[in-house]
Amino acid sequence: MAMNLIEAGAGRKKVALVIGSGGAKCAAALGLWQVLQEEGIQVSMAVGSSGGSIYAAAISLGFDLNTAEQLTLSLWTRDLMEGYATNLRRAMTGEVRFTESSGLIDDGPLTERLKTAFGTTSFSDAHIPLYIVSTDFYTGESVVHNNGPVLDAIRASIAIPMIIPPWQVGDRLLVDGAVSDPLPVDVAIKEGAQVILAMGFELPVRKRMRSYTAVTTHLNSLYMNNILKSTFAFHNLAHHAEVVLLLPELDPAIGAFSAEQFPEVIAEGARSAREQLPYLRRLLSQTSLD
Amino acid sequence: MEITTNYQDQVAVVAVEGSIDALTSGDVSAHLAGQISQGYHHMILDLSQVEYMSSAGLRAIMEGLKTSRQAGGDLRLAEPQPGVDKVLRMAGFPSIMKSYSSLAEAAASFKD
Amino acid sequence: MNPPKNNRLALVIGSGAVKCAAALGVWKVLNRAGIKVDLLVGCSGGSLFATTMALGYSVDECIELTQRLWNRSITRKRDTRSFLKALLPQVFKFDERFGMIDDHAMFKNLRAVFGERTFTDTVVPLYLLATDFYTGEPVVLDRGTLVYALRASISVPFIWRPWRIGERFLIDGAVSNPLPVDVAIREGVELILAVGFETPAPRRIKSISRFVFHLNSVMTNNLYRANFAFHNLAHHAEIITVLPDFTQQVSLFDTQHIPYVIQQGEHAMEQQLPYLQRLLGENHSS
Repeated sequence: MAMNLIEAGAGRKKVALVIGSGGAKCAAALGLWQVLQEEGIQVSMAVGSSGGSIYAAAISLGFDLNTAEQLTLSLWTRDLMEGYATNLRRAMTGEVRFTESSGLIDDGPLTERLKTAFGTTSFSDAHIPLYIVSTDFYTGESVVHNNGPVLDAIRASIAIPMIIPPWQVGDRLLVDGAVSDPLPVDVAIKEGAQVILAMGFELPVRKRMRSYTAVTTHLNSLYMNNILKSTFAFHNLAHHAEVVLLLPELDPAIGAFSAEQFPEVIAEGARSAREQLPYLRRLLSQTSLD
Repeated sequence: MEITTNYQDQVAVVAVEGSIDALTSGDVSAHLAGQISQGYHHMILDLSQVEYMSSAGLRAIMEGLKTSRQAGGDLRLAEPQPGVDKVLRMAGFPSIMKSYSSLAEAAASFKD
Repeated sequence: MNPPKNNRLALVIGSGAVKCAAALGVWKVLNRAGIKVDLLVGCSGGSLFATTMALGYSVDECIELTQRLWNRSITRKRDTRSFLKALLPQVFKFDERFGMIDDHAMFKNLRAVFGERTFTDTVVPLYLLATDFYTGEPVVLDRGTLVYALRASISVPFIWRPWRIGERFLIDGAVSNPLPVDVAIREGVELILAVGFETPAPRRIKSISRFVFHLNSVMTNNLYRANFAFHNLAHHAEIITVLPDFTQQVSLFDTQHIPYVIQQGEHAMEQQLPYLQRLLGENHSS
């Protein structure tokens, strides 16, 4: 009996941070992180999928805000899409064979930038446990990374299908975590978290599409949004304690952005976090969670 | 459907034989809840002798899982048969709870 | 209390192209056992079978109709205008509501079987699932002309043009809800038989369109599982999953495999029958 009192009663609540897919918008998680630090709320684990994996990693590796800003600005730039139009034409005419390892952009610069940011850092260097989710290209199943080089896990997790080439890790070919688990609350649940702070983003859907690839992208977004909603509905029912969902209100068109937009994104992330603070404080001060 | 329980350290190993479905899941739920109220918050559900698991059965497990976690413990699965494992996977259970292919591994997992 | 309190039974047939014919095997077993279905739900290919059953056709009639509905003629003719617009969007004004295949053959087959009949002609309540092309939301169709609802529900993206019903443009139900158990839950049915199929992923990818197809299949499967996980927890009574096994590869239009597919459906249902009978029997005895 004594053991139960210690576990269930007095101790600190296990708080998990889950950052879902959302491309450059995921930087809003840094605003959330700022607020948590201001409040002195300790986070026991960070989980990320797709774009969220970058920030989950940055946070758990203890990057300061400046470093995280530099990383964001260097990563999400318009020149990443260079070669897209040419590669698309070649793929559609069959001039170049498009295979399971293909992507429409050259991932050289992208991978280089990730190397600059994360180098040879491994999961064991993280200050708090880090989990990154990607998807097995062939089976579609989600894959949870939590050891080895962080770079590999991130590169796999952000591999937007068709755009960024899939990434081989060991004997698996991996793609975007969003294809199987866009907001991996389940990982936090499985790892014993109690209060789960989940920051998610819905993919923008279009009203008008002007090309075949725009339609393909649109359909991918429909699928991914539906997967997001359904997995969240399931995770929500499967959790025994609380999932606090944060949905920053950001212009869906934010993709590659410039320095001016970055503070706005972080500020909106912080605002969405502050909105939940009163409830969060009450949750964390309670001794039981049912 | 039969339920037998034995204890390894402070972990209750609940072995079910038969089918966990709408007709039997109430008993499974009640049994798991009983273990928790007796103070056994860490439980292993030994599925080696379970040949069928229905939707209602899955919900009973979910109930046991959540209650044990609310009490500060956990419920883990051991040795699901292939047919049952298929159903567990379809219902998303592996993503939110731990399952082991041997009872020994499941028991060891509570030692961390 | 877990066992269902009333005797109502729903049959939900998920997406799976020609594999959905396995539902006829399920139907055979139910008929033999004298078990009546009170509600039918279909998605994508499953809609065709749900509809023939809902109209009260016998098992043999349904099998015969399947052969008429599902044959290669429905995909033979290209929708040239649509195709050109997709290929050369600068020359021909691009229309996002395009489809590669002309739907005249499909309508011809559908009309030959269903005529101008409507949902009110069904002897069992019927619900068909489609998806809003622009928002991705699931759309439940339960009124109007059957051929139009079917045309919408099976409208595989890129293959057929989205189909307009009312204010919405509709596509394949599988994009939002591959196995719509929730429709049966919402209609208050306690005992649900869910016949579901996963799409096998292609092995080698040699072109961008194959890549797209693979991706769509993978995401349909993930959505199928995610939805089932949610619906499973959300239901208060029982869902019996009938998951036919296919050791042979059965691709999109492999109509020659229909007898094999039906047999696998029969086999899968036979395995679930004893439990179903016990559940139904529990109510008879009380």
